[in-house]
Amino acid sequence: MKKWLAALMLGLLPAFALAASGDTPEVIVKNVSRDVLDVIKKNPNDPAAVRDQVGKKVEPLADYTRMTSLAVGRYWKSATPEQQQALSNEFRQMLIRTYLSALTIYKNAQVNVIGTRPGDSADEQSVRTEVSIPNQKPIPLEFYFEKAQAGWKVYDISVDGISFTVNNRNQFGAAIRQKGVDGLIKQLSDLNAAAKTNASAAK
Amino acid sequence: MRKLTLLSSTILALLLAGCATPQNNYDPLEPVNRKIFAVNMAVDRAVLKPVATAYSQHAPGPVKQATHGFFDNIDDFFSVLGNLAQGKFSDAFQSAGRVAVNTTVGMFGFVDWASDMGLKKTNEDLGQALGHWGVGSGPFLMLPFFGPSSARDLINPVSRYYLDPYAPFSDPSTAVTIFRYGMAGVSARADLLPLDPMIESQIDPYAYIRDAWLQKRYNDVWDGNPPKPLDMGGGPDDGPDDAAPGAPADKAQPAAVPDAKAPAVDAPKEAPKSESTAPATDASKPAAEPVQ
Repeated sequence: MKKWLAALMLGLLPAFALAASGDTPEVIVKNVSRDVLDVIKKNPNDPAAVRDQVGKKVEPLADYTRMTSLAVGRYWKSATPEQQQALSNEFRQMLIRTYLSALTIYKNAQVNVIGTRPGDSADEQSVRTEVSIPNQKPIPLEFYFEKAQAGWKVYDISVDGISFTVNNRNQFGAAIRQKGVDGLIKQLSDLNAAAKTNASAAK
Repeated sequence: MRKLTLLSSTILALLLAGCATPQNNYDPLEPVNRKIFAVNMAVDRAVLKPVATAYSQHAPGPVKQATHGFFDNIDDFFSVLGNLAQGKFSDAFQSAGRVAVNTTVGMFGFVDWASDMGLKKTNEDLGQALGHWGVGSGPFLMLPFFGPSSARDLINPVSRYYLDPYAPFSDPSTAVTIFRYGMAGVSARADLLPLDPMIESQIDPYAYIRDAWLQKRYNDVWDGNPPKPLDMGGGPDDGPDDAAPGAPADKAQPAAVPDAKAPAVDAPKEAPKSESTAPATDASKPAAEPVQ
């Protein structure tokens, strides 16, 4: 009995992650995009609030480590575990800062799921969607999922064919060639810190 | 045109003489491109961006929408050509219908009646048509004022100039035409304003724009179903080494040594385009497993 209770409590802790774990990628995308659009509609003029609330929603669904490894490309393996950790952390902050803060322009958007396509293995799948904004051509948006222990996780997103991990590879690679992995970590953390200062100064 | 070819091949030859391994397989002209990019950015900061921002903030919504529609209508005209050149007759027909409806009832595109009538908008162009028939993109080019292009996609600005559908009605040298080109630039720039913060906060905005543009064009050519990811270099599978941080760039990239005659090209298309409607195996992702 106690064991059962303890198990239940444990399960409740990452409630969101657990709730999502049984869902297929398509269901996850449908639910999360609906939630995200709700948040945007409720805070149409507050990018920071949108960023924070959406950030919380998507956090358990993203595999930031794999995203970062894809963005860093072939130098990933030469980084130490600590460096990989630091890179993932900075890249995560960069993604949240740049992408989630820009979401308010989608306040009239609709996300339509078009379908899924299989990945390279049974553990991978992508969900294709279209974001439609009135009077504009729909923007194709594709989410790449992999099956992890805690359920399906997103490891890449492409907008109109532009993968946001691949798109960083050359600039990150060049930074590493010039200044090493630590140099890239420093550049990213400087940019993140500068953005934070700017954001708070603007308030 | 001949002069232009001669000039560009001379520049190419000069560059290649002292060329290092390019950062991106498609960018052997990077040093020149970067210089042009710097000038473009300076012009943008000084003129285009302030004008586009003012336009975006102060022009009334209907004016902006009508302006957008006017230029979209011209895009549709070139979509007809792009579709025809690829043998996509149904899409060509739809695009032609859009032009017919929007030019007349929609008053030169100011109102987009065609979309309400269910006529599908496709964004095709002659550059994509060349890509469809297997012409590789050639080297990436940063054009003065126009921005990103590739050698192959030069056909787009050139065709837009020579096949301008309004040319028969207005002398290219008149103020009207100059105003039209100016508005096209301002309207297009205004569309991109929301992306500015993202681009400005990159380590290397030039590389970011270049790689985004190359990926998008590659995706466009394949209508959203590329057979494999575009290899721009730097990928997990790229090269046998794990170069230590700080080590010089490896020289092992296959497409890395640019050749004036055969610059890095897109994968030739083995399959007819009709296959793209078949359920796609997801080939648009790197084959590499996650590196733990």
